[in-house]
Amino acid sequence: MSAKVSYLRAMAIALHVLRGFFRGVARASVGVARHAGGLAILVWNSASALVRGQVAFADVVGQMFAMGIQSLPLVMVTAVLSGVVTSQQGGYQFTGSIPLYVLGSVVASSVVLELGPVLTAIVIVGRVGARITAELGTMQVSEQIDALYSLGRDPVPVLAAPRILAGMVVLPALVAIANGIGVFAGMIAARVSVGLGSESFLYGARMFWHSWDMFYSLMKALVFGFIIPVISVHMGLRTRGGAEGVGRFTTSSVVFMIIAVLVLDAMFPPLFLN
Amino acid sequence: MIEYLDVYKAFDAPVLSGVTLSVPEGETLSILGPSGTGKSVLLKTTIGLVVPDRGDVRVNGRSVVSASRGTLLEIRRMAGYVFQNAALFDSMNVYENVRMGLQDEEQRSLSQREILERVCGALEDVNLDPGAVLRKVPSELSGGMRKRVGLARAIVGRPDILLYDEPDTGLDPVNAAAVEMLITEVAAKTHVTSVVVTHHVEAALQISDRVALLDRGRLQFVGTPEEFRRSEDPLVRAFGDREAAMAAATRLMED
Repeated sequence: MSAKVSYLRAMAIALHVLRGFFRGVARASVGVARHAGGLAILVWNSASALVRGQVAFADVVGQMFAMGIQSLPLVMVTAVLSGVVTSQQGGYQFTGSIPLYVLGSVVASSVVLELGPVLTAIVIVGRVGARITAELGTMQVSEQIDALYSLGRDPVPVLAAPRILAGMVVLPALVAIANGIGVFAGMIAARVSVGLGSESFLYGARMFWHSWDMFYSLMKALVFGFIIPVISVHMGLRTRGGAEGVGRFTTSSVVFMIIAVLVLDAMFPPLFLN
Repeated sequence: MIEYLDVYKAFDAPVLSGVTLSVPEGETLSILGPSGTGKSVLLKTTIGLVVPDRGDVRVNGRSVVSASRGTLLEIRRMAGYVFQNAALFDSMNVYENVRMGLQDEEQRSLSQREILERVCGALEDVNLDPGAVLRKVPSELSGGMRKRVGLARAIVGRPDILLYDEPDTGLDPVNAAAVEMLITEVAAKTHVTSVVVTHHVEAALQISDRVALLDRGRLQFVGTPEEFRRSEDPLVRAFGDREAAMAAATRLMED
């Protein structure tokens, strides 16, 4: 009798756990679907606003300045360090085993194909994406977004579209600069650390260089420049719950943006490098 | 004319539970009620900032709930909304904030000088010195000044409908009285339809043609200020009479 009771109790617990699991999955699926729907609507409305000419040029320029010029010093520092570290580690590994001029190719490919676009995107997530979510989130919780609606204005052409367009213009430019600076810094580091001359470095860099690589790098930058403002604006406009909500949504936004950048980055090689 | 037709709204708990109310053109109606009873939510449904779960809201016969995007924009453009915390745009100065109250078409048809005159006129109407505040950003203004700038932004476009969400809360008595006078003056001059959400019973009774009392999402009273004063309803009495309010508060604490 007691064995049957124990069995039934174990079954009840198992059912309870299973039900909790499926509820969690269902709740997460609804959340993902809501975000996906919200992102799709935001992109559609922003594109419509751009096509209809509802976006003020001055707003786009203002956002380009905030995203681009103001981010440039941090992007440059990141690019220099990524080039230097790649060069030094490559030099350490190649010395005595592989011709050192190959280092030029390793640094150029690493910076252009991967480090330049991804590290620049991560810098923009932290410096620009978080700011956009916090700014729009504060506007949301302080009823400024409602005030825009009440004045017969749509927040998408005023707040979303200029940021998305600016991101798509600015990120490729920043990545192009980061690539150049990163490779140059790697070249200097190679000379200092393993004594590899500039000519040998550039010889190695040219030997394995494909002109497609730069296009691939800028294509990545364009996609990152699109997804970062889209997610940050979406999360900002969804913010609820006062100051605490602004903090929570900004953190979630940064997490989503970083995951999105890394997942998209992982999708690029099988799609474009085969 | 504004009509609220059997409006229901729930967030985590029910907020509005079947509110039916109409505000004829040119009337000033004040909505009174304890905190958290859905007054601001009801006001926000007027221009579609909150969408009811059930029921409808009609502005001049046009449904806000089922309105197309274009119709909703038109409805919003004929209304001025004064937010509880002013909701000024942080990145803009006072001039730019108030100017936002003018529609784009209107701004295009006016010269810069005319726009400046309109903005300054609206600021003077709310007892602010344009010369002193025009170039200031909201963070440089006191709470009361921000509130009055929000009011100036709502009236600068000369709307047909004015919606006030606690316009005098947080103001000193002189400026609160000035705002109350302004509500009366604007209504008398322009024959605007006004809905005022407020806690200040005496102010509501002075400025309103009718008063509505909302409690737990339901309308408990709708009538003229005289009818409000004469009402024997305990809740109405609690709002209109200090002693009755104290008695109601004591009962609430005991519960």
